[in-house]
Amino acid sequence: MSTSTTGPDRTARTARRPVQAAPRGVPQSPLEESGRGTRWVVAIVVVVAMLWTLVPLLWMLLSSFKNSADVTAATPQFLFTPVLDNYRNLFTGANNLWPYIWHSVLAAGISAVLAVCLGALAGYGLARTQMRGKKHLAFWIISTRMAPIAAIVVPLFLIFRGLGLIDSIPGLVLAYLSFNLPFAIWLMSAFFAEVPPSLEESALVAGCTRWQAFRTVILPLTKSGLVTTFVLCLVFAWNDYAFAVVFSGPNSQTLPIAASQLVTQTGIDWGQLTAIGTIVVIPMMLAGLAVRRWLVTGLTLGAVTGE
Amino acid sequence: MSRVLYDEATRIYPGSTQPAVDALDLDIADGEFLVLVGPSGCGKSTSLRMLAGLERVDGGRIAIGDRDVTHLPPRDRDIAMVFQNYALYPHMSVADNMGFALRVMKVSKDERDRRVLEAARLLDLEEFLDRKPKALSGGQRQRVAMGRAIVREPQVFLMDEPLSNLDAKLRVQTRTQIADLQHRLGVTTVYVTHDQVEAMTMGDRVAVLKDGILQQVDTPLGLYQHPANVFVAGFIGSPSMNLGEYRVEGDEVVFGGARVRLTRETLKALKEEGSDRVILGFRPEDVTMVGDGDQDDATFLVTATVVEELGSDAFLYGQYADTTDPRLLEQTVIARVDPNAPPAKGDRVRLRIVPGKGRLFSASTGLCLPA
Ligand SMILES: Nc1ncnc2c1ncn2[C@@H]1O[C@H](COP(=O)(O)OP(=O)(O)O)[C@@H](O)[C@H]1O
Ligand SMILES: [Mg+2]
Repeated sequence: MSTSTTGPDRTARTARRPVQAAPRGVPQSPLEESGRGTRWVVAIVVVVAMLWTLVPLLWMLLSSFKNSADVTAATPQFLFTPVLDNYRNLFTGANNLWPYIWHSVLAAGISAVLAVCLGALAGYGLARTQMRGKKHLAFWIISTRMAPIAAIVVPLFLIFRGLGLIDSIPGLVLAYLSFNLPFAIWLMSAFFAEVPPSLEESALVAGCTRWQAFRTVILPLTKSGLVTTFVLCLVFAWNDYAFAVVFSGPNSQTLPIAASQLVTQTGIDWGQLTAIGTIVVIPMMLAGLAVRRWLVTGLTLGAVTGE
Repeated sequence: MSRVLYDEATRIYPGSTQPAVDALDLDIADGEFLVLVGPSGCGKSTSLRMLAGLERVDGGRIAIGDRDVTHLPPRDRDIAMVFQNYALYPHMSVADNMGFALRVMKVSKDERDRRVLEAARLLDLEEFLDRKPKALSGGQRQRVAMGRAIVREPQVFLMDEPLSNLDAKLRVQTRTQIADLQHRLGVTTVYVTHDQVEAMTMGDRVAVLKDGILQQVDTPLGLYQHPANVFVAGFIGSPSMNLGEYRVEGDEVVFGGARVRLTRETLKALKEEGSDRVILGFRPEDVTMVGDGDQDDATFLVTATVVEELGSDAFLYGQYADTTDPRLLEQTVIARVDPNAPPAKGDRVRLRIVPGKGRLFSASTGLCLPA
């Protein structure tokens, strides 16, 4: 629930059209109507789901601050003296982590930005077109997102080799666009469809070109959609391993590749591995937290216009 | 401020064979308030959107002033439009909403503020200028939408059912305010509504549309008194005109036990058409109650089923009593009766159409026959 639907808004809305159903986005909690039994079941499911997600993350975080003896101790050590050795080791030496981080930031960041920009334009077109077979087109676009990565890796590899894009950041950006762009188009078009066409028509009559109407009226109203799309695309690309392992080389290896390199034939450095894991996870969690307000309104769709 | 001209303007939506607006011819004078009225789906919005440039014109042309605007984009037409849902920009304050068009036109900030404030004063919106639209009531939002149009100082105002989201009482108030404002500003206005009362009370002239085809354009009184066809006759007026198709015998039309003589012009038209049937219409206020002593061939008996007493007016809803024709028995006769001495429910009353007030229409074409 966004902070934008507070007091005056709701009264104004209901006062205007009494026949209208309850304003969108006001949660009608199912818990309020259900009995105690259901409530307990729901609570247990939520707790289990939280443990399922959080325990491994917590374990990883804790392990990354243990020294090598504590990490590999047969009995789990909950009380230990935290050390920064693992992190220090990661950032020193010839094969330190900085280039990997930089590659990840570039590849994921650029692909997310491009996906949002292109996805917004295409999604707007898709939302507003009156053409026949629009639904099929929309489904076809999102279905390319559903294709297994394994199915496109080989053809992409051949294309990239021909274009000299192997082991390059542009290559990774393009590869990530192959799954981020359809997703962005599809998600953004859902947001644009929520905006009444009369808003841009009103802008057109007021003297705007189509582009001006899009920029000054439509885009500001779909801010939460843009942020949501950007963050999700960023996360998808940031977490990618499959493409990176095929397309990247010394000039473009990303963080997940660095992590995989710690799994060697001679053994696994659990301390460093969990430290990299933490480095991969933390920024995405922070990003999620920072834009939480938009993510929530964004993911529930609707209530874009406050109309 | 300009004249607006629709010249055979036609719109056929893709995938449809029937035109949504079919060869519309309308000549709207400079400063005139023209209302487009008709039942839902008759093409009112489409006609308006064609003038706005939001809908393609597939045939004919449209002109504003001396300019042919048929193929101009909306921004080059110098018009302002009020939408049914107001289409206020939710992310902008009331002031920014009202000044939006001026900002797009790169009017200086001083000038912009001046014009916004002026319009806000006119519409009693000064105290809301800093609010967002969602913090306004329905009536206030409606006024902001009006204000946004006024600030433009356009050649033409276009309004598409701007009152339909207001409650009944506010709607009546606002409709006088809009008509008043329009007369003061003198800007040519095309106003769309499905509500014939709104049309009759607001318009200088009213254009009646049905199935994309223009039925008649006239002043409200002209439409009321001289409907061009059966559709207009039945659509305009509340309660609506009594209409029924009856037999012509000799030089008389026979209905519900009454025989009413037709004029020579009517008979001539019927003869040319080769028809022995005619549609007779009369308004509820165009009948008089007659005592039993005054009865003659032209009177008919009605049994009152409902009597509606409104204080200043009373309406009788009844059935023909003096007939066995099942089609006649199904018909409801509406008559205005003396509010001070209304008949009771179940009473049988004798009525007569005020001479010269009956309207006759062709049973085949529905067009008005000469009287
Ligand atoms: N975008 C559209 N595509 C196809 N048909 C449409 C479209 N808009 C309106 N129509 C059709 O055109 C006719 C006229 O519509 P409209 O002008 O909106 O009617 P009104 O405003 O008088 O209710 C209707 O039959 C409607 O179904
Ligand atoms: Mg309409």
